[in-house]
Amino acid sequence: MSYSAGDALTPFVVDSVSPDAMRDWSVFLADPNPIHLDVDVVKAKGLGDKRINQGPINVAYMMNMLLAAVPGSRIEAMDSRFLDNVYEGDHLTASGTITAVDGNRLTCEFKLDVAGRGTVNSGTATLII
Amino acid sequence: MDELPPAPAVAGTSLDGTKIFTISVEENAALCRSTGVEPATDGSAHPIYYYIATQVAMGKTVAGVCETCEFDVDDGPMMGSSGVRFTKPLMVGESYKVSGEILSLVRKQSRKLGVMDVLTYRLRLHPAAGGEALLETDNVWVLPRKELAA
Repeated sequence: MSYSAGDALTPFVVDSVSPDAMRDWSVFLADPNPIHLDVDVVKAKGLGDKRINQGPINVAYMMNMLLAAVPGSRIEAMDSRFLDNVYEGDHLTASGTITAVDGNRLTCEFKLDVAGRGTVNSGTATLII
Repeated sequence: MDELPPAPAVAGTSLDGTKIFTISVEENAALCRSTGVEPATDGSAHPIYYYIATQVAMGKTVAGVCETCEFDVDDGPMMGSSGVRFTKPLMVGESYKVSGEILSLVRKQSRKLGVMDVLTYRLRLHPAAGGEALLETDNVWVLPRKELAA
């Protein structure tokens, strides 16, 4: 398969962010921060009324998009900026575009959008194909 | 406006870890499925383990890093950005250890957040048996300094 600058990457969609996954990730990350586990704590801190997804899960969604859109590739470098929170129940779309092709390296821009709220994470990545 | 007091001088603080982090087949599969994909069939782990392995096996907990910065973790540190450079993929069943250090802690005034300290730290993941790092990651956290609000 050939790639060119300007090619859109196939989006990766998360229909509804799961609080069960947040509970699993609190174990993976060895981080029992209650804002990911307990709605009452989120409310008490004035952070809204839904559990907040751990930031690295959002990065994982964007990695899934990159690796699925370019089968057989691996990530050589990736930089992500956290712009806003993702909450339980959010509908997410990770998408991206190839910005340059240099031999077996693809440089990409990507972002993670929440339906109705806009972009919550964005960045750049280099893939080895 | 009064000049802000300086941020604590923490640049250079070691984050070298003593823990060994092993990516298990079972946990990698559970993690992949929790994000909506199946685990790879070539033995590679999900690349997000760059963050998990370094964060779990670094020499301080998140609360400990915050404490070093004279910041209470209950005041809500926020992730600003995360970057990674891999030289090799992470593999299921392999064990790793971490080296690293705090690069900087910079105090800033933000219109949105008020006074905040911007913490940057670098972690590297090595084979547990020793050798060159498989990856290097720089994480930036924002530490809102409510006590310094006007």
